[in-house]
Amino acid sequence: MNNTQKFFSILAVFIYSAITIIPIVFAIDRLILVSGFNPILWIQSLDQNYVSQNSIAFTFVQAFFSTILTVLIGFPVAWVLGRHSWPFKAFLRSILTLPFVIPAIIAAMGFLTITGPYGLDVRTDESTWWWTLIFSHAWFNIALIIRFCEPVLSTLNPNFEEQLLLLPNGVTFFSRLKNLWIPILTPSIAAASCMTFVFSFTSFALVKWITVRDKTLESTMAEVSSSAGIQGYMEPSSDIVLGASLIQFLVLLASLWLMSFLQQRRQTKWQQASELFVQNKNAKGWFVLAPAIFFVQLPIISVILGSFRVRDVSENSNSFKWSTEGWSEAFQGSYSFPPLSEALFNSLIYSFGTLIIALPLGYILASTIHQLEENNFNLSRILEIYTMLPFALSAAMIGLGIMLGIIKLNPSAAYDFRFLPVLAHVMITVPFVVRIILPALRSFDLSYDENAKVLGMSNFSRFFKIKLPLMKGSILVATVFTLAMSLGEFGASFIVARNSEWITLPLLIDSLRGKPMKDPLTVPSSNAVATVLMLITMILFLIVEKFRNTKDRGMF
Amino acid sequence: MNFPHFSKLIVACLILFPSFTGCISEDKSDNELVILTYDVNALSDSMISKFENSTGLEVRMIKVEDSGSILSYLIQNKGVGNVDLAIGLDNTYLPTAIELDLLEEVSIVKDSISGKNSSSQMPALGPYDGNLATPFDMGFICLNYDSSIVDGLNFTIPTSLWNLTEPEWKGKVALPSPITSSPGRGFMLATLDYFDWQNNDDDFSNWWTAMKDNDAIITSGWSEAYETHYTGGYGEYTEGYIGDAHITVSYCHSPGVESWYNGNWTKSASLDIDKTAFFQVEYASAIKGGNSENAEKFIEYLISSEVNSQMPVENLMYSVLEGQNLPEENGYRFNSIIPSNPAVISNVDIGKNIEIWLEEWNEAMIKSE
Amino acid sequence: MLSCLNLSKKYGKILFNELNINLEKGEILAIIGPSGCGKTTLLRCICGLEELDSGKILLNGDDITKIPAEERGIGLLFQKPVLYPHLTVSGNLSLASFNNHDKVLVEVGLPNFEDRDVDTLSGGEGQRVALARALLANPNVLLLDEPFSALDLDMSIKLISDVRALLKDRSCPAILVTHNIEEAKLFSDRMIDLSKV
Repeated sequence: MNNTQKFFSILAVFIYSAITIIPIVFAIDRLILVSGFNPILWIQSLDQNYVSQNSIAFTFVQAFFSTILTVLIGFPVAWVLGRHSWPFKAFLRSILTLPFVIPAIIAAMGFLTITGPYGLDVRTDESTWWWTLIFSHAWFNIALIIRFCEPVLSTLNPNFEEQLLLLPNGVTFFSRLKNLWIPILTPSIAAASCMTFVFSFTSFALVKWITVRDKTLESTMAEVSSSAGIQGYMEPSSDIVLGASLIQFLVLLASLWLMSFLQQRRQTKWQQASELFVQNKNAKGWFVLAPAIFFVQLPIISVILGSFRVRDVSENSNSFKWSTEGWSEAFQGSYSFPPLSEALFNSLIYSFGTLIIALPLGYILASTIHQLEENNFNLSRILEIYTMLPFALSAAMIGLGIMLGIIKLNPSAAYDFRFLPVLAHVMITVPFVVRIILPALRSFDLSYDENAKVLGMSNFSRFFKIKLPLMKGSILVATVFTLAMSLGEFGASFIVARNSEWITLPLLIDSLRGKPMKDPLTVPSSNAVATVLMLITMILFLIVEKFRNTKDRGMF
Repeated sequence: MNFPHFSKLIVACLILFPSFTGCISEDKSDNELVILTYDVNALSDSMISKFENSTGLEVRMIKVEDSGSILSYLIQNKGVGNVDLAIGLDNTYLPTAIELDLLEEVSIVKDSISGKNSSSQMPALGPYDGNLATPFDMGFICLNYDSSIVDGLNFTIPTSLWNLTEPEWKGKVALPSPITSSPGRGFMLATLDYFDWQNNDDDFSNWWTAMKDNDAIITSGWSEAYETHYTGGYGEYTEGYIGDAHITVSYCHSPGVESWYNGNWTKSASLDIDKTAFFQVEYASAIKGGNSENAEKFIEYLISSEVNSQMPVENLMYSVLEGQNLPEENGYRFNSIIPSNPAVISNVDIGKNIEIWLEEWNEAMIKSE
Repeated sequence: MLSCLNLSKKYGKILFNELNINLEKGEILAIIGPSGCGKTTLLRCICGLEELDSGKILLNGDDITKIPAEERGIGLLFQKPVLYPHLTVSGNLSLASFNNHDKVLVEVGLPNFEDRDVDTLSGGEGQRVALARALLANPNVLLLDEPFSALDLDMSIKLISDVRALLKDRSCPAILVTHNIEEAKLFSDRMIDLSKV
């Protein structure tokens, strides 16, 4: 590493720390000031406060069952998709993994519509809430199962299965399970399950809207966030936040560690199929894929339809008419709610602002880790884990961290600094940028750079003329991912963006939905905003799919 | 070190850093009025733009979740001076705000507001008549029941709060939490008076524990209880409706509101059990460190006859002006009651004890019989 | 022993048409031809991993054309040794038989290799283990799909002669496909040129 590179690296680590770690440290410091340092007490406070009672149990149980259901639904889809050839396979894969990038608040809207009076009409039955929540989590996360397992299946050298057929003790079902499928799929399924568990564990928007009575640690934290960190006033809120975030942090850290451990043991030992390998078609697979596609599309379509369906108030009934009034209401806004255009503008500004910071920052961090890998492996590992820390923080904690942390530094900035939500978004997206760019850097063929050196090109030239163009694909993926995550971010923004002028699309959806339901335009207008957000997200996602390396096995 | 590159770097940093922090923060100008509020319906587009047009001030709103969040926000921001006016603190939160010295005195003429000395059953200045807060709307918080089901035949109409702890009411009462909801808090305070908290240590806790054991539905906010759970209101026709409660906490004039919207019909009725209703007043207060002059202008506007007389229609609450009443159309007034014997808890007592009471409530709710 | 009658198969272009092959017990046959001419496909059809367009395959007089691969009792050595990385050498051998591991490993020149991890094996060692496993399965016929092509010259010459000796020892009929004539000459009793048939 030359001096310029060193400088950039140190600067990047410094900025990253300033944005990410320092506010969290300040926030925790402030909370501890109120609550005292007593982790046992913090955790006990969760059971000693009515507002958070049972949230620990509920969080674990729903995350656990969500994970199981996700695997049960997602694995057959991954199997069928990976084992056979399909027309428009890439497109099918995109549709089936689309839910992952749809903002949770929109999924909540979709599922409420499905279970509501215009759908299955089971909402009044409380016993259906649990299942609705689990299914909505599964809906989100089957993308992970598919993303992790399908590439393994479609690039597996078929010889492995064929060889077993020709060996007496290999041919039985159990033998194939034991000697082929379990060893080869377990790391992928386990890794995807870990991530599903993590996402379900920190679920907020879905829990807030679907299981009205029960709360997860995340939704509890969001609820008490406004009164946390104040000495002498509602001090239990601080206890609750510390207790909840401690548990979350430990669980998330454990899950991340487990996932990275499992990924290291992945199937690099198993030979990949030659590119000439052609899979067979299997029409029976449509019995799995068709329902899956329906399941995936249903909430999305519900939201779009819901934006045009307006309850007819002339009668006190559930009759409705189709109209664009909801869209007009969303576009016009009111003093209660900014117009859709303003929220869209804010969302776009924030997401581009996030991109401008997160992309170069993440790139430099990834580059630093990669360069350290050669000379100082331990330091590179430490730095790699350091860049993953925000993964171990939930969105609510990040939001709260910024609020309380910034307040300590500069109280008025918390409410006057228009770009405060960007900090939250940067915190959330930088780890993703690192995780996308780093593998690309690792697989970057050094001979390209070396050849350019001997041709006399300078550092600067080589970077812009050789390296960046070759890294174009992964940079684009990182760009689009950052934009999409920032656009759809809800949890942290819920806490940070209190000023209604900072409202983003997801927050607008939530606010509109929270209006008294008497107004028949409440639901259609929030669905209209949701539709806009969804369309933008889908477009971004489809762009990514074109550039993704289909042999990639992983989240992104 | 490569100097041309390095110097480019320094220049880049110098440009980026200030532009990022400096010009993006929004400094309040003298022409601005920053209002901190939750979703108060009265603050409609037309109402605000009229104010802006007549005063030349620009209004900016900071929205928080609810009344309690207003207080938390003010405490978190004490001394910062970024908020001029808080609209929506009620008489259960006001004492704390005053105690913590968050509010600024203004000189508002309150002659037109119903006061202590008037014969009004709803004296807006009753709970507080100082210069730190000006009432702008009020109402009695009380239990509402679905009279089409709670008709004496299917369900007995409760005559005592203890009735609600009986098996017939299991899982059928929806109450907003006093920790997060101001009507919920008002109701909790009423139960303190109902169970004679000064002389009786236990009944208050025991009742709440019994309610919890009887599966009372505790919601975080009023709207969830009223719209999602209560069968007597308009919630029936809204998305997300569950309809498992026949009694909830709302206002004594909520049946009137229902009737008004339904064209003179409602199945919701208010329960007039002694000492179960709580008189709530909502206030507009100038905030210490903010622009109290601009705040004053808005407060005056808010209690002007033109604006405040519209409270029953715009905000679904009583106007605080002397001589004002609910409109008669569509049975609004007819279906609204004024409780004969509401609970009484002084502001002083609230200020002193609210945290203790909330803790007691919390203890009662986590206990199991 | 093995009679292939009028085998035909095409993938777009015709790979082989009305091909007849006979294999006597203990005989080693080599099928040569350039890459892409259908040699691998022919082997896969014989062992049942792929279907013929037309033709019959008789093993000891029995028509096995429609019988699934796992029931034909025909072994196949793939071009790259298919060893299961999560199993040791012994584990891989167990897929053929639970017994006689030590004996067969000695036969292939890898004594005491039972507990070795397969990813520590060299190319030649891997192929030997694959061969040991194939032999342990006691096939009626062993098919070999260019198993020596990935190895360097010295290693492959040694392996070729060792494998031939082993097969002859057991009187196991075998068909080797390769594009390398020298290899075919060393290994087999007779040759067929698929591109000229």
